[in-house]
Amino acid sequence: MTALDAPTGLAETPAPAARIAAPPAARTLPASLRPSRWLPIVLMILALAALWQITAQGMPYLLPPLQAIAETLIGNPAYYLENAWITLQEALIGLAIAFVGSSILAVAISEVAVLRRAIMPIAVVLNVTPLVAIAPALVVAFGFGPEPKLIVTAIICFFPILINVSVGLRSVPTAVLQFYKTIHASRAEMLWHVRVPSALPYLFAALKIVFPLSIVGAVVAEMFAPGASEGLGTAIGLASSNNKLPVIYASIFMLALMGAALLGLITAVERRALRWHETHADGA
Amino acid sequence: MDTPTSAISVRGARKVYGASPNALVALDGVDLEIPAGRFVSVIGPSGCGKSTLLRLIGSLEQPDGGDVEVFGVSPEAACAAKLVGFVPQTPALLPWLNVLQNVTLPHRINRGAERRRPVASGASAGPAPDLEQLLRDVGLGGALHKLPAQLSGGMQQRTAIVRALGLRPEVLLMDEPFSALDEFTREVLQEQLLDLWDEIKTTVVFVTHSVTEAVRLSDTVVVMAPRPGRIVDVIDIGLPRPRSARQIKTPEFHAYEDLIRDRLQSAWQSPDLSTAA
Repeated sequence: MTALDAPTGLAETPAPAARIAAPPAARTLPASLRPSRWLPIVLMILALAALWQITAQGMPYLLPPLQAIAETLIGNPAYYLENAWITLQEALIGLAIAFVGSSILAVAISEVAVLRRAIMPIAVVLNVTPLVAIAPALVVAFGFGPEPKLIVTAIICFFPILINVSVGLRSVPTAVLQFYKTIHASRAEMLWHVRVPSALPYLFAALKIVFPLSIVGAVVAEMFAPGASEGLGTAIGLASSNNKLPVIYASIFMLALMGAALLGLITAVERRALRWHETHADGA
Repeated sequence: MDTPTSAISVRGARKVYGASPNALVALDGVDLEIPAGRFVSVIGPSGCGKSTLLRLIGSLEQPDGGDVEVFGVSPEAACAAKLVGFVPQTPALLPWLNVLQNVTLPHRINRGAERRRPVASGASAGPAPDLEQLLRDVGLGGALHKLPAQLSGGMQQRTAIVRALGLRPEVLLMDEPFSALDEFTREVLQEQLLDLWDEIKTTVVFVTHSVTEAVRLSDTVVVMAPRPGRIVDVIDIGLPRPRSARQIKTPEFHAYEDLIRDRLQSAWQSPDLSTAA
């Protein structure tokens, strides 16, 4: 009877509306677990897989059957993991080089107007140039070792970071600069306490672009310098010349996984580091 | 040259923006002496140079002619000695720092400033003020650890005022600090500002375009006019302090308001009418 008593009791309270509108059971689930969240993407993946299988049945030279990809992945996991590790190392070391170099240059060009005017236009043009095309030239110049891979990766990661960070360092509102000027903050103090934190959201926006891009750079460089060293790009090149379609797609699957993992990682770091920025964006 | 009682001294200040054919004379021949410890409002229509005047005093801009001194030294030297507290029109807080951090950061910047305080300012550099207490005094006790984005506009501007006052400035420069706030919040903040000022009695230059605000807050109201930016009148407000909200409704208060409105109107209209006729 308590179930019946409860509404009667509620009706007598002065403000029952809030309590009557009890949340439905589904609302108690975390947002990410609600079917409305995950069902569309699951259905889409199933539909694409079905389409893939139908295509693979009809035109096996176009797409390998999914089970063939799974077989090679499961049959020889060490091969894929080792190659993925090599590619990942090249990507991350190249990215680290780009990060250090472009951050230093970004501070320099944001502080010195002459440098900015000299460098920014070039940086903008190079940023829209498909720099992966430089890979064959670097292989000619540096041979088949790790150097061309690191250089290609570093080059394609360099300009997105440079441009974003240098814009971010100059994104401080005038009134903020004025306040700190009236207390005679030095350029170093202004940079450290005001400009660098202001640039962090811009840096993370760039990192979300260049983390996946770094893998593109490493793979493309590997493809142009095959044989000598390993990596997923080399694996794809070899499989291509041997007509091993499942191996190509298994390697691509590994690359996609790595790209997604890196993006997930940097997004998680961003969420921690920029909690203030998120609340800022929500409030606006 | 410098009179020790003069906190701010502006002589023949001139500021021009742009090149000669379409140059804008923001300030021309501005003379102003502000004694230490006075609350001075600068009022005038847009483009009369009132904010430019404030920026000259705060070393944010350089005059094209004339001379500006703060306690007998240049505005740069005054800022280097941290004599100046600045409250801009927008709160200008750092969004990644909470209220308390926003207020304490200026104390970690330019640490050598105390040694550069000129003798004229007479500032006995006492112990640093209790910033937390200051924040509590203006009703921010519950918001010490909140980020600026979590605060209302009024609370943000209060934080900005405490940030400036926490520096124990000899000169407080305020550039239309309440103009973006709603009427009610503005009156509350005016009252809090008067309470704070009552305790520290620093020299204040307060730029506003509200006649009521100028009369309520000030010892002296400087009336400016545009094209070129110039001072047309300096009116001392002889109303007793503390000035409560009730006082705004008295005839004496209205008389001052009318006087300032008259000055503003005549200054604003005279050049326009002569060219139109």
